[in-house]
Amino acid sequence: MSSPPPDPVTRSAAWRISLWATLAFAVGTLIVFAMLQQFMVSQIQQRSDAWLSGEVAVLGDVAGRTPKDNLYDRVVGEVAELASREVPNQRKGQGVDNSAVFFLQAAEDGPPRLWVGEGDGLKHLEAIRSSRVLAGVPRDVKVRGTSYPFRVAATRIADGSYIYLGLSEQDELRVLRDMMIRFVFIWLLIVLLGFVIVFYTTRRMLGYVREITEAASHIGESDLTSRVPNLTGKDEVGHLARTLNRMLDRIENTVHQLHTITGALAHDLRSPLTAVRGKLEVSLSRDLKADQIEPIAAAIDELDRLTDFLNASLDVAEAKADALRLSRREILLDELVRDMIALYEPSMAEKGIQVSVKILDSCQVLVDAALIHRVLANLLDNEIKHLPPCCNVQISLHADEKVAVLTVEDNGPGFDIAVQSRLFQQRVKGRDSRGYGLGLAFVQAVVRAHGGAVSASNRLSGGIRLSIEIPLTKRSGGSVHDVIAARA
Amino acid sequence: MRILLVEDDHEIQSFVTDALLGAGYEVDAADDGQTASSLAAKRSYHGMIVDLGLPDLDGIDLILQLRHSGVRSPVLILSARRSVDERVRGLELGGDDYLTKPFAVAELLARMRNLLRRHSSVAEDPTRLHVGDLELDLLKRRATRAGDVLNLSPQEFALLEYLCRNAGKVVTRSMLLADVWGMRFQPDTNVVDVHIYRLRGKVDLPGRSPLIKTLRGIGYVVTAA
Repeated sequence: MSSPPPDPVTRSAAWRISLWATLAFAVGTLIVFAMLQQFMVSQIQQRSDAWLSGEVAVLGDVAGRTPKDNLYDRVVGEVAELASREVPNQRKGQGVDNSAVFFLQAAEDGPPRLWVGEGDGLKHLEAIRSSRVLAGVPRDVKVRGTSYPFRVAATRIADGSYIYLGLSEQDELRVLRDMMIRFVFIWLLIVLLGFVIVFYTTRRMLGYVREITEAASHIGESDLTSRVPNLTGKDEVGHLARTLNRMLDRIENTVHQLHTITGALAHDLRSPLTAVRGKLEVSLSRDLKADQIEPIAAAIDELDRLTDFLNASLDVAEAKADALRLSRREILLDELVRDMIALYEPSMAEKGIQVSVKILDSCQVLVDAALIHRVLANLLDNEIKHLPPCCNVQISLHADEKVAVLTVEDNGPGFDIAVQSRLFQQRVKGRDSRGYGLGLAFVQAVVRAHGGAVSASNRLSGGIRLSIEIPLTKRSGGSVHDVIAARA
Repeated sequence: MRILLVEDDHEIQSFVTDALLGAGYEVDAADDGQTASSLAAKRSYHGMIVDLGLPDLDGIDLILQLRHSGVRSPVLILSARRSVDERVRGLELGGDDYLTKPFAVAELLARMRNLLRRHSSVAEDPTRLHVGDLELDLLKRRATRAGDVLNLSPQEFALLEYLCRNAGKVVTRSMLLADVWGMRFQPDTNVVDVHIYRLRGKVDLPGRSPLIKTLRGIGYVVTAA
């Protein structure tokens, strides 16, 4: 039988596991990176705040000591200028940016007394006043017309005015953004790498499981010799494979034993049966009186019945144990059914049973033809033996999605209510049956051995309905519409 | 004609030998594969009957061994196994036949004779068969009895043809089932008999001497006598 087409990767368990694992991994690493980023932000902030506080204290000191004369502006301005050269987080090779630092001295209100920086400082003062920068605590100040906020520290000097030192956060933010971009890039790389590793390992692991599954599914279809690929690994999968193989060893042993027993039983019984039958037959061919012939012929009949019983019960036993030896080949089930009907139709007509056959599809199946012959013969023999005259038998065959469905229906008395629930068990037979009650058990066992199914029931309108499903090898192209009707 | 019988069960060996002798064959019997090989090396046999379960050798291996050493005579295989395995089927294609134990002696004789005939008559494939006043035209698939055309279905014609090809010889039900219908099983009902009964109704009309005769418990024979 052909193996199913390989599933797309996205439907495999390995894919799902990798997705979930990667998701968890991604969230985890994201949290770690976010915390790291946060830590960096606070560190940089602390550094610049420390610098600002230090510088503003120095400037306050200088401003406090410098006499308030004409040189005041120049002295304080230069000190401020010098301080701005030591700006932390300054980008290398990019000289001191005028706009990066400002120095401002102003009273509680009124215009700035001293301004070192870009522009006239009015906007900055306005922003500082509106955000109430207090001495000793650096704060973020957003100045209108600039794209980056300033970090501003303040100190109060002796004359009651305030000295503000502002540091643009432009560089700081740029550093953080660069870091963020790197983090995201590394994060993506790690997540992708993680996904690939998880996917590869789970796929490898599950690949073993798949191999085991495939091997196991082949075993039992009359092949018990093959084994699951033996893995040397000490992990769960290797253990599973070894356990499965040990189990298969035991099953194979059991089945082999069963074959040996049934074989020996068959052989040991057959040889004496053959000898007895042969002797009886030879003695029949001698000149005997009529009253001597009868018992010998009856004995031969009984021997033949015994042989049939022996064969059938061994077959059922083997089939039930999944140990039936099938020699399968591809045949057309519709042809087999037609041949069988051609063989049985005269007998049925003879008994007054009308047969109609409806073959809707051509059904190619891979079966042991000899066994399927016997299955059909079993069903048709049953109909001949149990149907009263003037009944109808309808036999129909059609192809479903993946199975050939053969249905046998009649309008006879139906199955004995007492045995209806146990139809497929051995030794179960109707009250007036002369058989051994192996017929339907055999039918079911053989059909199951072929991977099919049997169901039997009484129809509501009377009579039985028996349906057999056998897997198709492929659905044959053109459907055949063929109706044979035979009249008694 | 000389036949080699290879069978380890003495009871079976003795009655099969008797039956073959009674049917006019000469018989050499062997208990095991070794003896059989040496017998077959000494002289040639027209046919062989080989049991699969020999004490020293598998029957199939014996046959393959004999085939390998150039023995071409047809083999009738006796098997105590129920299901006949692939290898026997393979041999069957090569012109051999098999019987499962227990078998009817008449069946064994009929099959042996069939095998020997198939093996010896090479090119003889008639286009017409005659049995008494019954004539079968195998090309036109038409049967006539004393000039009157018999209205037979194709299946009935095939059945009659088989019987006529074996005219004067016993054919068993399982031979008919195997060779006419291509099926090997033991029907629980008299399906083959009903076909013969119908055929007889068309061939042996009242007032004519019956050609198809029943041998109770054995099978059928078509003969003009």
